[in-house]
Amino acid sequence: MFDMEREISDSKIRLCLDCGKCTVVCPVAQHDPEFNPRLIAQRRLTQNSSNPQDETIWECLSCYMCVERCNYHVAFPEFIHSLRAEALAEGAQLQCSHGGTLQALMHLMAREDLRQDRLSWLPQDIELSEQCDTIFFVGCAPYFDIMFSDLEVNTLKGVKGALRLLNRAQVPFTILANERCCGRDLLLQGDREGFLALARANMEEFARHGVKKIITNCPEGYYTLKVDYPRMLGGTGIEVVHLTEVLAPLVQSGELDLGELKTRVTYHDPCTLGRCSRIFDEPRQIMAAVAGLEMVEMEQSREKALCCGASPWAHCGAVNRQIQEQRLAQAEATGADILVTACPKCLIHLRCAQKSGDGRIAQVEIQDLAYLAARSLDLGGESVG
Amino acid sequence: MNKSAVRLVVFACNWDGLSCIEAAAQAGLVYPASVRVVRVSCLSRVHQGLMLKAFELGADGVMLLGCEPGNCQFDIDAGLIEQEYEKARRVLRLLGLGEERLVLCHIPRGDGSGFVGRVTGFIKKVERMQPAVPAGA
Repeated sequence: MFDMEREISDSKIRLCLDCGKCTVVCPVAQHDPEFNPRLIAQRRLTQNSSNPQDETIWECLSCYMCVERCNYHVAFPEFIHSLRAEALAEGAQLQCSHGGTLQALMHLMAREDLRQDRLSWLPQDIELSEQCDTIFFVGCAPYFDIMFSDLEVNTLKGVKGALRLLNRAQVPFTILANERCCGRDLLLQGDREGFLALARANMEEFARHGVKKIITNCPEGYYTLKVDYPRMLGGTGIEVVHLTEVLAPLVQSGELDLGELKTRVTYHDPCTLGRCSRIFDEPRQIMAAVAGLEMVEMEQSREKALCCGASPWAHCGAVNRQIQEQRLAQAEATGADILVTACPKCLIHLRCAQKSGDGRIAQVEIQDLAYLAARSLDLGGESVG
Repeated sequence: MNKSAVRLVVFACNWDGLSCIEAAAQAGLVYPASVRVVRVSCLSRVHQGLMLKAFELGADGVMLLGCEPGNCQFDIDAGLIEQEYEKARRVLRLLGLGEERLVLCHIPRGDGSGFVGRVTGFIKKVERMQPAVPAGA
């Protein structure tokens, strides 16, 4: 089933002109001279099989900065994912971060007869529409908040904010009690089998409930359901929209009024939402609709936004930390009170840097966009009911 | 009782935890052969990832066996295992596998019969639950 030649061809990597622009803009290459996207491609294409010695393939962040700059839009991240799948098949060992907790969780979630008990966090004030063919895909937030409780992250605040905003905007939706992880991190780290198991389990769940439309708050889930599922499974027939795509038009047309927040914020474009999915304006339109909110841009934003230093929960090291420090320093330089992001993984990765740093790292507050918008309407708290 | 279909992993600390298992062996006490003991230098070494990995690999239950409070050989009894244990329990609850599949035991040094009593009691409890891994998986 795994056809490396076809994957090499699909990634358009043979169009590479050896110009090296990818390496110039790559955030990893800036901190690690050993990492060189152009040379990784060259090394693989000049031999007939993968090079198990090439450890650098695990360092790519899948931030799509190289694709943005490449004249031919060579899909280097996808090429890297293929190389990783090939390396794993040949016995390479993955260096899992966080003790392999996330990998274990994703594999456990792929079990066929799983009956999760994952909605205990759902506040009573949130109204779900029965018999609705639109669902809100919650993602792994309930798990993240337990696993990363020592980082004091609360990614469910963003989910709750999103649900309350949808309620306020009178957008009907329901939530599935047994949705699985979207599997993006397994796909990124080259575990095709694990990814497909999760994807099939989710598709069965969607089919059982007659799902026609999915709203997500997590950009990873959004891109995976919208692009990777059809690509890997051959079409899903389900419309996938990001929360900001639902809310921004309503905010602009005046159908949804946001409240007031007197604060200064800067927005961190998550790579998967920005460069991957081209959603740059909608989050900014939502923030612009909050009265009193002063929005300042970081040195690198929109198409040029710096990655949060994320990895698919593997091979996280000093380079990732340096990128996170750099991003947090950029946020601090704007003088913003809050660094707003629309991705729970950005929140976790940046918070991890803040928590484990030695005090030099900027301690700017990080909040989810949906939570921030809900807070402007006094819908952010736990006691809303 | 020396046969059970329940697959149990015991993470035992090298000191008091393992001394209980050795005492049980020396006294000729019997417990099911499906119990697999993983020896670790200290229970603080065992984090939620290892506990979940055991379940991923097919364990029906996981027991964490360590020194009684204040008895840690490394004097680093900082509550790390309690913190990780609680996280893993909450994840197992969300997954629907049941938090009861994970237990943390502190048994006095060299208490072989105490260990066998706890492990057989735990196996009976897990046997009454649905299998963590469906048949044929």
